[in-house]
Amino acid sequence: MGAEVRDKVVKEIGKVVVGREREVDLLLMCLLARGHVLLEGVPGVSKTLIANAFSKCLGLQFKRVQFTPDILPLDIIGGFVFNLKNREFEFRRGPVFTNILLADEINRAPPKVQSALLESMQELQVTVEGHTEKLPFPFMVIATQNPLEFEGVYPLPEGQLDRFMVKVSFRYPSREVESDILKRNLTSIDVNDVETVLSLDQLDALVKQVNKVKVSDEVLAYLARVAEATRTEGALVLGASPRAMVQLVHCSRARALLDGRNYVTPADIKSIANDVLTHRLTIDRAAALKGVSRNPEAILTAILDRVEPPR
Amino acid sequence: MVSNQVILGALLVVNIALYIPLILAVVRRRRRKVNASNLADAFTGLEQALKEAVPDLPAGFTWEEAVARLKSSGVKTKGMEDALKSYEEYRYGGEPMPDVDPREVVKVANMLGGISAGRSGGSSLGR
Repeated sequence: MGAEVRDKVVKEIGKVVVGREREVDLLLMCLLARGHVLLEGVPGVSKTLIANAFSKCLGLQFKRVQFTPDILPLDIIGGFVFNLKNREFEFRRGPVFTNILLADEINRAPPKVQSALLESMQELQVTVEGHTEKLPFPFMVIATQNPLEFEGVYPLPEGQLDRFMVKVSFRYPSREVESDILKRNLTSIDVNDVETVLSLDQLDALVKQVNKVKVSDEVLAYLARVAEATRTEGALVLGASPRAMVQLVHCSRARALLDGRNYVTPADIKSIANDVLTHRLTIDRAAALKGVSRNPEAILTAILDRVEPPR
Repeated sequence: MVSNQVILGALLVVNIALYIPLILAVVRRRRRKVNASNLADAFTGLEQALKEAVPDLPAGFTWEEAVARLKSSGVKTKGMEDALKSYEEYRYGGEPMPDVDPREVVKVANMLGGISAGRSGGSSLGR
C-alpha cells in the first residue's frame, strides 16, 4: 500500500510542480514518520507551492504564516483575548491549529518567535498561561528558510534545527525541467487541479503501519556505529544527537514502507541519512581552516562509506 | 650431434615449465570458487568476491550499491536481485531462511572471482 500511495501522491503533485519527485517523496516520508520538514532554497523554487499542493493532495487543512521580523509568538500559537460579551478571557487559537503549517521564511523571525513553535513541534500541543490544547492529527510544520547569506535572516538555533526531522535543499532545476516549467506556465497552474488521493483514515493506517516496520538489532547496532562516527569525526564539533538518530530510525521505517517493505535495510538508512542528519552537524571551523571539507554532506558521506553495515 | 634423448628431455622440461603454472592457476581458480548450499552462504561468498574484485568499493557499501556497480559494469544481475529480495527478508526482516536456489548468486560471485584471478592486483570492475 505504501508504494502505491507514494506513486499516487508524486503523480498528483506533479500536475503543478515539475521535477520535485524526490522532495515530495521526502515530505510524505516525514509525514508518515510524524516529523517536520525544513525546506531551504532561494526564493522562487516552488517551496511554498509544493507545501500547498502536498496538503491538498492528502486532503489536509493547510495554513500559512509569513514570518517577519515583527511577528509575535501570539500570531502563531494564539493567546487569550478578553471577550466583552461574557467579560472573560478566552483562548483564541492561532494558525498552528491545523494539519500542515507552512512557516514561510522562518529565519526572518527572531529566535524568540522561532522557539514558540518548539512545543508544538515536539509535544504536538500548545500551552499558553497554563492552558494546554492538543494539536489536530496529523500535524506537520513545513518551514521554509532562505540561505543564511541573504539579508535580514536569523540562523535557527541548534535546538530548533534538531526538531526538524528532515532538511530538504531546493536547488535550481535542470535545464530540461526549467523548460518544462516555463512551458506549463504558459497556461495558468492551479493547485485546485491536485486531487485528494488519501483519506484521513488511510493516512492514520499508514502512520500506524510505520510503527510495525521491523528494524533488526544488527541494523540498530549499525546506526549506533554511524552515530559514534559522527561524534568522533575530527571535522565536526557537534555530531548526531540521540534524538537525531531516533528520527533517522523513524524515517527509515517510513522509507521502507513507501518502498513496499516491512523491514529496514542499511540502504534505507544511507539513502536518507544526509537529509536527516546534515542540518544537525556542526563543522569545526578550525578544521575547516586547515582545509578539511566544510561541507557536512561530504563529511557524512565519507563516514557512511567507512562504517560497515550488516550484509 | 645432440641425441634424441637429450632433445626429448629438454622438451619435457619445457613442457613442465609451461604447464605447471597453468595447472596451478586452474587449481587456484577452483579453490576461489564459491560453493553455497543456501542463500546466506551464497551472499557471504559474493561479499568476499566483491571486496576482492572491486577494491575501490567503500567498506560501507550496501547490496543496493553493489548491484548498481555490477550493473554499470555490464554484469547481468536479474536473477541475483530476485534472490537478494528473499535474502533481505530473511536478513533484515526476521523471516525464516528462504528456500531459494542460490545458483544465480554463486554465478555472479564466481564470475567476479574469475575476473579478479585473471588480473594481477588491480581493480576488476570499473565504475
